Amino acid sequence: MDLTFYGEETNGLISVDPRTKVLIFITSSLVCVSSFSDLGMALYSVVLCVLFALCGKPLTALKAGIALGVVLFVRAVMGSSQGAPELIVMILTLVTTSFMFAFPPIMSVLLIIKTTRISHFLSAFQAMHVPVKAVVPAAVFFRFLPTVTEEWNGIRKAMAFRGISLSPVQIITHPWRTIEYVLIPMLFSSISVMEELAAATMARGMDIDVRRSSYEEVKLRAVDYLLIVLFVALFALSAVVGEMVKNGAFL
Amino acid sequence: MAKKEIVNTSANNDKKLRIKDLIFAGAFGAIYIVVMLIIVMVTGVVPVLYLMNPLFVGIVCATIYELCVLKVHKFGAALILGVLFAVTASSGYLPGMFLAIGVAVLAELVLLIGKYKSKKFFLISYLVFNLNMVCPFTNLYFNRSSFIAMATEYYGENYANGVAALATSWMPFAQMGLAVLGAGIGVLIASKLIRKHFEKAGIV
Repeated sequence: MDLTFYGEETNGLISVDPRTKVLIFITSSLVCVSSFSDLGMALYSVVLCVLFALCGKPLTALKAGIALGVVLFVRAVMGSSQGAPELIVMILTLVTTSFMFAFPPIMSVLLIIKTTRISHFLSAFQAMHVPVKAVVPAAVFFRFLPTVTEEWNGIRKAMAFRGISLSPVQIITHPWRTIEYVLIPMLFSSISVMEELAAATMARGMDIDVRRSSYEEVKLRAVDYLLIVLFVALFALSAVVGEMVKNGAFL
Repeated sequence: MAKKEIVNTSANNDKKLRIKDLIFAGAFGAIYIVVMLIIVMVTGVVPVLYLMNPLFVGIVCATIYELCVLKVHKFGAALILGVLFAVTASSGYLPGMFLAIGVAVLAELVLLIGKYKSKKFFLISYLVFNLNMVCPFTNLYFNRSSFIAMATEYYGENYANGVAALATSWMPFAQMGLAVLGAGIGVLIASKLIRKHFEKAGIV
């Protein structure tokens, strides 16, 4: 099992505050809908990849970067060649576009999941005086996204083991059965993980309404301010370019 | 004092939201959103199916929602789930996000009317809650020209024209209808599945 799946921040060149990462997530989801051009999206995505590498996950960043490069290349080729069959062009456009569109938010969520310890996340937002009732669900939410993926992989293997296929034909012919076979084990195992998580937090005394001390040093450093300025500027740039593309003044 | 509070947590008539409940709500939120994203990504390829998403998501995700509210049994579960949904699914368009949060508040109110005991109100509240699936599409209705421009830029003329032809003035209402219909079917499945599996195992 890949133990580095959950957050740790040991060997990164820079360490970024969880609050900065959440801000990057917000600008990432805004960039998708405000940038109307490949150029802005590509620039933003490349910067995100570089940040990912600097935070200590160069391999993931490299993989994502190569995938991004391939997609951009395919899009550039499609734009310059006219005689291709229409169906292939349409399918390729859909696939590459979904990729481009989903890239910034998914990468920024991965950044939060893979390079942040939950305790760091909690203490950073508690230092900002965000109420516990808002911080804990958000932290658990990010903690649980990889768990769900893990459970899903396990269920798929277990189903294959027992000869139940998850092919589109099966899903269309037996939709109710598919829902039951996938959802029920996933919910059962997730609930047991939740019970354990709840027990662990109780053992740490999270349930008492007192201010908790923490070993984590919570401080926005120069890197954080730099990143905040950089990402807000990138978002503003892509929004401005997007506005110009929309009005037809550009390209 | 600390000991007393821990004793309180296990009591059933505890009205206050505890850390345990927050964890349940956050975790179910993660499951809900992953399942929803898988459905949207698979169906997003075809414009008609893309717009029919409230139906599919309602059918599949009802079980997750019902388990969440049944497990927590207090004010706040539906609201937290709704806010997590709003922030992740429709964060690109602010009015849509606030609408989604509003819908979550309404669903919570339905639960409140049932006093977190009535099984019927648990089921009905999902009919309201699932309306939030329409909210990510509000960008298309309130901000039409911009959305079409974006679809043209990203997906090409064909797809954009397909979406534009479908997104007529009655489409929001059709989607709301689909959302309620999907939630209705989903809730029937959910109550069956919960009776068959989770009540037997003593989870809810």
